[in-house]
Amino acid sequence: MKKTEIVLILLVAVIIGVIMSLTFNASTYITFADAEKQMGKEFTVIGMLNKEKEILFEPRLNLLTFFAVDSLDNERKVYYHDSKPQDFERSEKITMTGFSTDSSFVARTILMKCPSKYNEQQSIQHDTLTSPTY
Amino acid sequence: MEFIGEHTLIGNLGQAFVSIAFAATILAAFSFYRSAINEQLKAIWLPVARAAFYSHGLAIIGVISCMFIMIYNHYFEYQYVWQHSSLELPTHYMISCFWEGQEGSFLLWTFWNIILGSILIKKSNSWEPTVMTIVSVIQVFLVSMILGIYVFGIKLGSSPFVLIRNLEENLGLPWTEMANYLQVVPQFMDGRGLNPLLQNYWMVIHPPILFLGFALTMVPFSFAIAGLWKKQYSEWIEEALPWTYAGIMVLGTGILMGGAWAYEALSFGGFWAWDPVENSSLVPWIILIAAAHLMLIYRARKSALPTAIGLTILAFILIIYSTYLTRSGILGDTSVHAFAGGLSSQLLVYLLTFTSASIVLFFSRLKHIPSNKKEDAVSSREFWMFIGSMVLFISAFQITWFTSLPVINKVFGTNMAPPLDAIALYNSWQTPLALLIVFLVGITQHLSYKKTNIKKLIKQIAFSLILAGALALYIAYTVQMWHALYLSLLWATLFAAIANFEYWRKILKGNWNHSGASVAHIGFALVIMGALLSNANKRTISSNEGFIAKDFPSNENILLEKGDTTHMGNYHVLYKSDTLLGINKTYEVEYFNLLEDSSYAYQFTLHPFIQLNEIMGNVAEPATEHFALYDVYTHLTYADTDVHDSNNPYHHESLINIKQGDSVIYNQHFLYLDSLMVNANTNLESARALDVMLIAKLRMQNMQGEFSTTQSIYAVKNNMAQSFPGFIEDGDLKYKFIFDQVNPEAGSIQIKAYEHIDNEKPFIVMKAIIFPYINVLWIGMILMAIGTGIAMIQLFRNKK
Repeated sequence: MKKTEIVLILLVAVIIGVIMSLTFNASTYITFADAEKQMGKEFTVIGMLNKEKEILFEPRLNLLTFFAVDSLDNERKVYYHDSKPQDFERSEKITMTGFSTDSSFVARTILMKCPSKYNEQQSIQHDTLTSPTY
Repeated sequence: MEFIGEHTLIGNLGQAFVSIAFAATILAAFSFYRSAINEQLKAIWLPVARAAFYSHGLAIIGVISCMFIMIYNHYFEYQYVWQHSSLELPTHYMISCFWEGQEGSFLLWTFWNIILGSILIKKSNSWEPTVMTIVSVIQVFLVSMILGIYVFGIKLGSSPFVLIRNLEENLGLPWTEMANYLQVVPQFMDGRGLNPLLQNYWMVIHPPILFLGFALTMVPFSFAIAGLWKKQYSEWIEEALPWTYAGIMVLGTGILMGGAWAYEALSFGGFWAWDPVENSSLVPWIILIAAAHLMLIYRARKSALPTAIGLTILAFILIIYSTYLTRSGILGDTSVHAFAGGLSSQLLVYLLTFTSASIVLFFSRLKHIPSNKKEDAVSSREFWMFIGSMVLFISAFQITWFTSLPVINKVFGTNMAPPLDAIALYNSWQTPLALLIVFLVGITQHLSYKKTNIKKLIKQIAFSLILAGALALYIAYTVQMWHALYLSLLWATLFAAIANFEYWRKILKGNWNHSGASVAHIGFALVIMGALLSNANKRTISSNEGFIAKDFPSNENILLEKGDTTHMGNYHVLYKSDTLLGINKTYEVEYFNLLEDSSYAYQFTLHPFIQLNEIMGNVAEPATEHFALYDVYTHLTYADTDVHDSNNPYHHESLINIKQGDSVIYNQHFLYLDSLMVNANTNLESARALDVMLIAKLRMQNMQGEFSTTQSIYAVKNNMAQSFPGFIEDGDLKYKFIFDQVNPEAGSIQIKAYEHIDNEKPFIVMKAIIFPYINVLWIGMILMAIGTGIAMIQLFRNKK
């Protein structure tokens, strides 16, 4: 066999390895209910921040607690043992990795999606329409 | 209708420049093409093409000038100005506003392409018509991104000259019908301002350099395509090589500056996080390096030509792909700092156009591309350079594939989430690949083209290998890094650095003109070494020992009370004071070493600060103490940023509803409303109360059972209500009570209670990380840029 062919075969093999690696290591987006089937195992859950309920940050305890609603409208209290991210109250969608306990979800990381430019403009219209000047 | 206070002239002018720029570049593309395909007509078409391209350039400069005038003069009626700038923004950050948005950054890219195009017109001689055809076509696509016009009902691009009232989503709203909306709608008095994260000096210089790097990848791409087009399959390499090195240098510097910005201004703690936005600029750079080395192989040995052409084209395609990833909004859930969407489908069309056109051209010409049928010897330099390029390709492929997860989900209809510990997974792929690459960087310079004398090779590199081994063991000992893979990588990086130095000193006899490769390779080895040492051995010294679950620390932050000295890592730290300077609230944190006689020895002071921004939220900016061998990096994760009025030192309002004779618990005290006295001055004829005075007698009991009392008065006179607050002191604790309102239905009154700001000791919560040997990384990056620069100058000289 020619050396070029050997190199080529190796190259293809590693590339297949990369592709498989992502497939095997990718986590899945699941709901709180599914996460509770395997308590203690880490998953990724996407939820919406419930702004009606209390968002409590206790700096002395290094603990942020809030309520998140998943895609099936199930709500869980979420514990996040770190400081409150910037602009947390304004976030809509929250991607959380972490595990479930019997009563709550313990998040290791949270990634927030903030309202887009479009929504900022919506809020202008809103303010403007309700403003008593006109 | 005439709108008052609008500056529509400048916007119309700008929009006119955009249209001229677009039309001119279409004309340029067409006439460069005519002069490329017909030698006879070249004399006619080439001057037309050049004139069109230069007009296009001038029009773009006009567009940029209009935008600067709008930003500088705060014309907030324009969406772009309102969205990205504000009245209080310092002038040097106004430059950053320019490229904060999609439109501005496309303009920046277009601008660099014009500069490069103008150089190519002057310097590329016989290549000019073909190469400039490709450059002009790229410009057509780029300018269309800022057109903002409708063609057959499809919106093409987004113009920076759109008035807010003309935005699609605002059409028909009541205020857009008002002539004086700029004067009466408070939102238009000031812009939203620049994102506080971008208010950093790195962000003034990083984007222009990165975009120049993006633009530079266009040049080798255009030459490669022109070569395929004109069937000059190898002649383009001599032209493209120096440009490729320019691209490697500038893009590399741009990426480095992005890392420096992340390290200096962002609080994720590090210079690299494998974020999609970072990855998508790194990948084209890696491919460009692979392409450059393949070009060198071809120059020396006339082999590897198809791969060289393929990777040169790929580098530019990946730049477009990177633009698509970061600007179409597709990354959404996986990246913190991707742009918001909008231009998605247009970008996708461009990506597919360039990719498919390149693929068709490449494969239709593939069988004509000369390739060396002879096998390279295993001991030859070209063989291992080729292997090295392939390892780079795999590295780039892994990063791209993992970054493209959202795209893969879209294409295959899957719903995979990013790996839970994505950074560890990236590292587990990239570390072994880096080991291979770095080892090849060390050894390949010492190999000869065609065939290497192995005995001579061993003699040449034995010293470097041994010295590197000894140094690696010493450095590993200083940071206690005994992981086998890491230790091998450390050894390989030291070997690569020393071996390249030896090559320059002994083989090149210390000649500076030919030092480019050696310096760049030493730089590359140091970058990998710095990244390895600082990342594998970083220590979060603010963290405590508690764990919530395996590998799940309970607290990586430390709480510092004002005036107290707290133990943290090797240090004792003191939060001494805080000051508000402009928009920055700065905290003074002093570091001490505890001496044996239990006295403190002052070491240094850090000033982490919080940039206050009401609209976009406050941003914590890190502070880092740099030492030769390590950095102490800190940033605040919590601080009370309330600005206290010295006339009213009370905060933390609580509302208390209380009935006469009742008690409530407030702040670890019992609060009683002992009595509520009414004092009314009634008009006897109408039986209406004219003046009313309500006096609430309050009593507070602390945990020790001690009482203190006060009264708060609520008075109504001539239909005007006024409250007189009452104050209570319990030892050092001070409270203020305001009789706020009466609730007649509930039969209670509402009291607003406040705590004095001195009741609680102020504190901050901070994260502190030690990064060992991080300076090796920065030095490596600088050397790499210098080395690539030397090589580039040498190549440009040789061409003449």
